[in-house]
Amino acid sequence: MRQVLNIFLKDVRHHWRECAASIALVAAFGWNEMRGWLHDEVFGAGIGIGGLFSSRFLSGLVVVLVPVAWSLVVVRVIQGESLVGDRQFWVTRPYEWKKLLGAKVLFGLTFVNLPLLVLDVFLLAKAGFRPTDYIVGLFWMQLMIVLYFMLPVAALATVTASVVQMLLALLIIALYGIGMGLLSDQIPSSSFSDPADSLTAALFFGICLAVIWMQYARRKTNKSRLLIAGLAGVCVLILVATPYRTLVAREFPQLNLQQEPPFQLALLPAEKVDPETAPEKEEEKEVEIRLPLSISGFGAESIAAIDGFMVDLEAQDGLHWNSGWKSPGLSLFPDQKSTRIDVTLKRRAFERLRSSAVRLRLSIAFTLFHDTNRREFVTPAGVFMMKDVGLCSTESTYSRGIHCLAPLRRPKSLLISADMSMSTCPVLEGESPATHGEIARDWTRGSGSEPAEFGISPLKTVDLYLTDWNGAASRRSTGICPGTPFVLSNPEPVGRNQTVLQIDGFRLSDYRLPSPKFTIGSVSIGAR
Amino acid sequence: MNNAIRTENLVKKFGRVEALRGLDLAVPEGAVYALVGPNGAGKTTIIKILMNIFGATRGRAEVLGLESTRLRGRYFSSIGYVSENQELPEWMRLDSFLAYLRPFYPSWDRKLENELVSQFDLPLDRRLRNLSRGMRMKAALASALAYHPKLIVLDEPFTGLDPLVRDELIQGLLERAEESTILISSHDLAEIESFASHIGYLEQGQLRFSEELTTLVERFREVELTFDTPPHLPKTAPNTWMHLSTSAAVIRFIESRFDAEKTATEVRNVLGEARNVAYTPMSLRSIFLAMAKAGRDPYVERAER
Repeated sequence: MRQVLNIFLKDVRHHWRECAASIALVAAFGWNEMRGWLHDEVFGAGIGIGGLFSSRFLSGLVVVLVPVAWSLVVVRVIQGESLVGDRQFWVTRPYEWKKLLGAKVLFGLTFVNLPLLVLDVFLLAKAGFRPTDYIVGLFWMQLMIVLYFMLPVAALATVTASVVQMLLALLIIALYGIGMGLLSDQIPSSSFSDPADSLTAALFFGICLAVIWMQYARRKTNKSRLLIAGLAGVCVLILVATPYRTLVAREFPQLNLQQEPPFQLALLPAEKVDPETAPEKEEEKEVEIRLPLSISGFGAESIAAIDGFMVDLEAQDGLHWNSGWKSPGLSLFPDQKSTRIDVTLKRRAFERLRSSAVRLRLSIAFTLFHDTNRREFVTPAGVFMMKDVGLCSTESTYSRGIHCLAPLRRPKSLLISADMSMSTCPVLEGESPATHGEIARDWTRGSGSEPAEFGISPLKTVDLYLTDWNGAASRRSTGICPGTPFVLSNPEPVGRNQTVLQIDGFRLSDYRLPSPKFTIGSVSIGAR
Repeated sequence: MNNAIRTENLVKKFGRVEALRGLDLAVPEGAVYALVGPNGAGKTTIIKILMNIFGATRGRAEVLGLESTRLRGRYFSSIGYVSENQELPEWMRLDSFLAYLRPFYPSWDRKLENELVSQFDLPLDRRLRNLSRGMRMKAALASALAYHPKLIVLDEPFTGLDPLVRDELIQGLLERAEESTILISSHDLAEIESFASHIGYLEQGQLRFSEELTTLVERFREVELTFDTPPHLPKTAPNTWMHLSTSAAVIRFIESRFDAEKTATEVRNVLGEARNVAYTPMSLRSIFLAMAKAGRDPYVERAER
């Protein structure tokens, strides 16, 4: 321990400026957070020279600078006893590698984790939450910062000799990331919820730890760098060689014959498009197809989250096209009558399939939820506590909704439903009052069940806005104001399955959209 | 006598370049062993392998009875290593540097530290980056002597230093390291000659010879024979003769295995009776120049056959 403290104190003397800057930025971040709660004028800043130097710009800068400062602290302290090269004085001194590593870990905990923990406790208390109720979550946040941020930065710092080398390494990683993104676009189904994520994550953490161990225990820089390059190669292999369809089939099994499907889908006639106003453009490289679907047979307390869909087209002459699994981000509610799925084809594929009737096979992977714990709630005035969410208010928002600060994480599954005709908000110009029975909803789904989400701030913003899921041509928003009643519930997943809709004699050209609209990757989505 | 350092068939390759070619080296305990040789001979490479700064491609090395690949951490509390191109923590003041190192060494001697600081006239309040090259070497040496190391390894410590600083370094080294084994690599043959007890000559990754300095100096002689008439050089000569040349009535050569009786007999047998024969002892510098010109020690060459 004496050696650990000796090295630690030496590092403090050497890097106090970086540490002070980092702590100052963390404090500035905290100030910025509190300021955000008090002045919720997110879009209020002007643009221009004045705007650039406005406090809002600087506060935004603080959010970016905090991780940069942490990186600098970690990199500088590790490279203080550089593990790269053969000229460092310390390698021929009685440094115990475990103690050297221990001193660096202590430094990171002291100047990255501790200030953040203090800030998080302060922010929770300042927001009105009792920090002692969130001890596990607070430490979980620190663990996430260590695993997802400090560990990779530290691993890179151990195989680089200077900040410049580190920046070069980051540039290479950024280029690699862009390359992986482009490659992912070319691989069908790879954009659907990645089943290989857990394997990649395990490899990532494993390699980071192995690199740090190899460098501190053996200083085998070339082998460590090879290991990192190997990880990059393995990630490419995982991306390319993962049997996505098999994994999706395993994760979302087909309903068997005895099982009653939770809902029925049917293809609706194509939406009418006026060829005069939306002529077909031959020069377009991609063609968008819209599949309008009717929904029926839903149980009263059932909700389906559409995790993925796959469109398969097969012509009689054997021509075949498959979209691969895509993630639409759609949800289906009991009173919902229709939805639609948009798919983009390369023009060459469209031209080959458009002339004849084809067999359409639409596979849908979904998670079925049971709507539980329903309770009625009337929106209070001022700041109020909403159970399972946090501190909320309708007054500080720039729109007519509920703005909440949730401690450490967003609700795992929170659905609010309201009869829009019961809204107490004044009808604005251009709006018409909702009719009785018009249900609007907002479904907030947090990822995972960990005690806290990854991030710097312990307070997560949850904005609840009611949206009409079953309206006419477009979604229509309604407001939540003090006095507006709504129903809160916590839908819980009950199962995952796959259902298939097969249509023979499908004519592709009937369902073509005039021109691509907003697209995500090769698929665009919509629902009503 | 035990060896403080021993290597067996040590090979080090950097890509295709073979820096060490099967090196067998033994440094006896208590010796002041000078490792000499031209640039690129492999002196720094062998020292870095011994200090486990990097590994050998093949072969093995032992330092103070320990496999060099296991040399790390606490084992360095009995080894002092100073190198001309060592990267010191430049931002530190010298007093902070010494204070920082103290807790690492159970045998750190504050009194000795003060003596060394005083002897080397070191400015404690200066940052290492602000020290001159000579001062840095002295600071590094002081920090490597203050804990009474059993083994002191110095890699080219005198390069680029003025004679005064060299003297101070050597003086400090000899005074404070009586109980230590010293391995020193250097180009500076004149300085080495004044204090080394053993010497090894490294060339192209191979140890041409390794022996006590007195033995080396004893076995080399410049031989000058004066004849009444200009002589002819013999067609064959003993392998131990180097640089055989003639000028007017004089024949000169260097005998690398000098033995008064044996050499006299060989001279008579090969060159006949001379009017005068002079055997002049050689300086270390002259010996190495002769060997460097010859390419290799003829005696070793014969022995290798």
